[in-house]
Order: sequence, then C-alpha cells, then structure tokens
Amino acid sequence: MAQEKALLIDIKRCIGCLSCETACKQLHGFGTEPEPTLSDTAFTVVEARGDKFVRKICMHCEDPACASACPVGAISKTALGPVVYDAGKCIGCRYCMLACPYQVPRYQWTKLAPFVKKCDLCSDRIKAGKSTACAEACPVRATVFGNRDDLINEAWNRIRGDKSYVPHIWGVEELGGGSVLFVSDVPFEKLGFKPAPSGNQPMPTLTASALGDSPKVVIMGGTILSALYWVTQRRREVALAEAEEKATIAKIKGKRT
Amino acid sequence: MIARIKSEITLWRVIVAIIFVTGIYATYLRFFEGFRASTNLSDQMPWGLWVGLGTLCGVGLSAAGFGISAAVYLLGMERYRPILRASILISFLGYLTVCVGYLYEIGLPWRFWYPIVMWNHKSVLFDVCVCIMTYTTVLTFEFAPAVIEKLPWKRFRETVLRYHHKILIGVVLAGVLLSSMHQSYLGGLYLIARGKVHPLWYSQYMHAMFYLSAIPAGLALTVMAIYLCMRSLNVRIDFSILSDCGRMIQLLLIVYAFFKVLDLIANQALGYAFQRTNEAGYFWLEVVLFLAIPITLLSFESVRANPEKLYWACAFVVAGFMVDRLNVSINALQTAMGTHYVPKWSELASSVLMIAAGVMAFRYAVIYLDILPKAPRPPVNRWMANGGLAAQA
Repeated sequence: MAQEKALLIDIKRCIGCLSCETACKQLHGFGTEPEPTLSDTAFTVVEARGDKFVRKICMHCEDPACASACPVGAISKTALGPVVYDAGKCIGCRYCMLACPYQVPRYQWTKLAPFVKKCDLCSDRIKAGKSTACAEACPVRATVFGNRDDLINEAWNRIRGDKSYVPHIWGVEELGGGSVLFVSDVPFEKLGFKPAPSGNQPMPTLTASALGDSPKVVIMGGTILSALYWVTQRRREVALAEAEEKATIAKIKGKRT
Repeated sequence: MIARIKSEITLWRVIVAIIFVTGIYATYLRFFEGFRASTNLSDQMPWGLWVGLGTLCGVGLSAAGFGISAAVYLLGMERYRPILRASILISFLGYLTVCVGYLYEIGLPWRFWYPIVMWNHKSVLFDVCVCIMTYTTVLTFEFAPAVIEKLPWKRFRETVLRYHHKILIGVVLAGVLLSSMHQSYLGGLYLIARGKVHPLWYSQYMHAMFYLSAIPAGLALTVMAIYLCMRSLNVRIDFSILSDCGRMIQLLLIVYAFFKVLDLIANQALGYAFQRTNEAGYFWLEVVLFLAIPITLLSFESVRANPEKLYWACAFVVAGFMVDRLNVSINALQTAMGTHYVPKWSELASSVLMIAAGVMAFRYAVIYLDILPKAPRPPVNRWMANGGLAAQA
C-alpha cells in the first residue's frame, strides 16, 4: 500500500530565499518574477510576517472542502496525498474557490476558456517516486517531503529537541488534517494562521447534515402531501355524493307532494 | 410618417431599447472577451452579482409557482385557481432566466450539461443544478396546457391534454418537493463557507432560512405582476384573492422573522447587529425593507384592500428579499475575503436584460394566452406609454 506523502514546512528554518517559489514556477513554465499572493501562475508564495517567512500553499486536506463542493467531482484527494484537479471535468462554477477555507484555488480570469489553478503537490513527480519541486529546491530543509507519518515524527523530534518551537504541528488535526504540516517558533495566530472555522471537523461535514436530511424530508414531505391530496379528494367526493343524495331526496319528495 | 414614428417613441420604449442594447453588448463582452472584461469578479470574490441577483433572487422570486400549485392541486384551495397559471408562468420564466444566467456564470458554458452525467452527490451545487433542471422541466409541463390549448389541431389537443391531466398531480407533487429542496439548497451552498459568511447571516440552518424567506417573496412578486396586469392589460380578477395573498405574505414574514431572531440568538450573533460595521448597516436595511415595513403595512385592512397600496407593500417585500440575497452572496463575504466588490456595469446590464426579457415574455403571454381572466375587450397594447398610466382601465 502506498503511504500518504506530505510536506513539512519549518517556519523557524525558513530564510525567505524564495527558492521553492522559483522552482515551482520553473516546473510549470511560468515567469520567474515573484508574486505577492497566490495566483494562476503562482501555486506557492513566501509571505513575510514580521521577521518570519510563511509559505502559502494548498493544504491538501484529508477531506477537502473543494472536492466535496465541486458539482462534477473534478477535484479529488488521491491515496498518495495530493488533492488533484481534473481540468477535463471542470465547468468553471468556482464553487471550490468559495468553499476552500484557505482561499487557495485561483482562476484564470483573463482567459476565454478559464480553468482553476492550484498546487497539486507535484502529483506526477510523486507517482514517479520523486520529491516535490519545492522541497527539492529548499537549501535549508525548511520544506521537506516524505511519508506523512514519518514527517509527523520528524516534526515532534524537532519540537522536542528545541525548546523555542511551539509545541504544535499545524495541519495534523485542523479541519481534519492535511498533507501539508507546519511547525514554528512563533505562535501560529501571529503568523496569519486563522483559527480553523470548524475546529478539527472537516469542512464537508458542515453540508453533510443538511444534505443527509434531504431523503428524509423528501419521503416525509411526499407522504404528507399525498395524504393531504387524498383528504382533499375524499372531501370533494363526499361533498359531491352528499349533494347528489340531497338532490335525489328533494326529487322524491317533490314527486310525492 | 416621421410624426408617426415619433409617436411610437415613448419613455418606456426608449428604456427597453437601452436595456437591450447595453445588455447585448455586455453579453458580447462576457462571451467574447471573458470575465476580466465583463466582470469585477476576482479570486477573492469568485461569485458576484450574477449569482446573487441572477440565481439567488431569480429562483427565490419564482417560488410562488410551487406554493400556489400546492395550495390549489394538493390542498384543494380552489379559491386561488384564478392566479394559478400566472404564478406558474412567473416561475417558469424565472427559471428560464436562471438557466440562461447559468451560462453566463460558469467559465466553460459549453460544458453546461456536465452535471447531468458527472455526479458528486456530496456537492450542494450538484443538487441545486439537478433540482433546477428537473424543476424547469416540471414547470414546462405545468405551463404547457396554456400553449397546447391554443394549437389548431383538435384531436392532438384533446389527446395530449387528457394524458397531461392524468399525470398532473404526480408532477405537481414532484415539483413541490423539488422546489422545496433547491430553494433551501441555495442557502445550503453557503454552509461550507463558514468563517467567510458574516455571523449575521451564517447559521447551520441557512438552508431553512432561505426556504422560509423565498415563499413570501415569490408570492409578493406574483401579486405585483397580477396588479400590473389588472392595471394595464385589461385583466379582471377578484381582488380579494390578492388581499388574501397579502395576509398570507404577512403571516409568512412573521414566521420568518421569528425564526431569524431565534437563529441569531442561538448563534449568539445578535450583538453583531449593533456594531458600527457595514454588515450591520446592510442587515438593518434588510430587516426594515423585508420585515418591518411590509409586516406593518400589511396589518392594515385598508392596505390589503387597496390594490395600489398592496402593490407597494409587496414591492417592499421583493426589494427587501433582494437585499437579503445580495447580502448573503456579496456583502456578508467581503470582510472575510478581504476585498471590496462592486459589480461592473456589464454584470448589471446583462442581469437587467434577462429580467426585462422575462417581463416582456410575461406580458405577451398574458396578452395572447389564457393566463388570467380578461375583460371582453381587446387588450391595450400601449401599456408602457406614460408608465402604464395611460392604459389604466
């Protein structure tokens, strides 16, 4: 069985050299000028937060909001870890962009046949047994690639070996966890990591209850409405029969007198 | 000759012409120049006016069709039969504009049919797509007799209408369930955007709130449309039916207000309404237009019994409803998304084009088909002159 892969990003080690950003752009054939935020030609960026640098990248959630939102199932979580996008299925509704709690997916607004663009954790390279381009390019091992379980151990080792680390791995449990993990020596909330909007629950559970109710509502509603219709019809029939009866009685009485 | 042409040019015709010219140009921009040229949408605001006004308001304001057809066919409230066809027609046209709008909204419109064959049952949007497609078919079926009975072939007409009648109840029932589902799913779309939708609107029962608010809004639009038909298209209808609708709208609004307050309290979000934020302002605008003014106005017998006053009370309901949907789809998201979105003129122009097309189609249908009972006098064609006043019967 293939083990789930992941990235471990160490904010303490990152020196902000942008090697990861450049390597990513080179791999995808984009221009190499750095961009301030994620875009359809920048799947990862290094953002300065005070004297720290934070990589922005798709978190490759275990249970991704985007994948559950996509009406045609163009986005899926693969066994190896990457959350991948199938451009052949996409209709361009952009619901994934609304759903993503990290605001990661980007759109090709200028094109006439636009597609969604985001990091795919170098899915093809991983399948071939290679590392992601960004991890390979990092000169200080601030981004490392490996098996998710191994990386979680590695992260705990770093935290235990150095008291300056915050004793928390961001991305193991947040929103159900993902394939991108962060460790840091500065509290995460100071680095722009927002508290997860539904705690450690994956985002798709927010809609699951509403959707799960629908078969019940349909069956109950259908039954109630049919019953009401039957009652209305029955009433009409009874009223009609009564009226006829009255008319006949009146006729008979009329004949007698 | 020139004088005749001049007399044909009226204010409303000029406005309609402007709407069509700008709307068609905006459509050209959308399909031949792309999103960047035709919209102010961005990665921070992927859904804008087209979704807010076109889809959410379009579907919501088309809610009367299922409400009235359930009342008449399933609950035997024969009293409302005279306005049944009009309400179905409004829904039918509303859904048609939503379907056309869908082609503007999605980035790859030639793939519009993909959701029919590629299913993701976990997606609320997939359910919305399927429900809207199915329900538009149901509405076509429900509305079809109005057209079929005008066809010249007698045998064909009778056969079709006989079979139509046999399965009608089943279709109506399916229609009621389908619309109940997707009216609420439209709110359900935003359930997954927790943390992005402002707490004044986000709730785990957003879908239920959408359902509760759509029915009075759809009824209000129907009342408005029928009033305009009475005023300008020679339609004669027992006004007490519309008065009763007014009473019904008020009741439904009170129910909605009750649950909205409960919901705000349950989510501990009531405090946000009293902060000095833009969201609080939009929230109160919605409360005043959609709830406070109409509920107050409709509680007066004199308003419900007076066609023009009832019309204006309903206009507040419709306007307030639109504010609510635009709040959820645009205003509630701006702070969390870190953006300020103002729709481009072309987004508005193409939306208005579709509304205008729907209104015109409604007008011609009322003139040429048996939608509403008419007085035995040829319809006045120039209803748009003097803002409709000239055609006052």
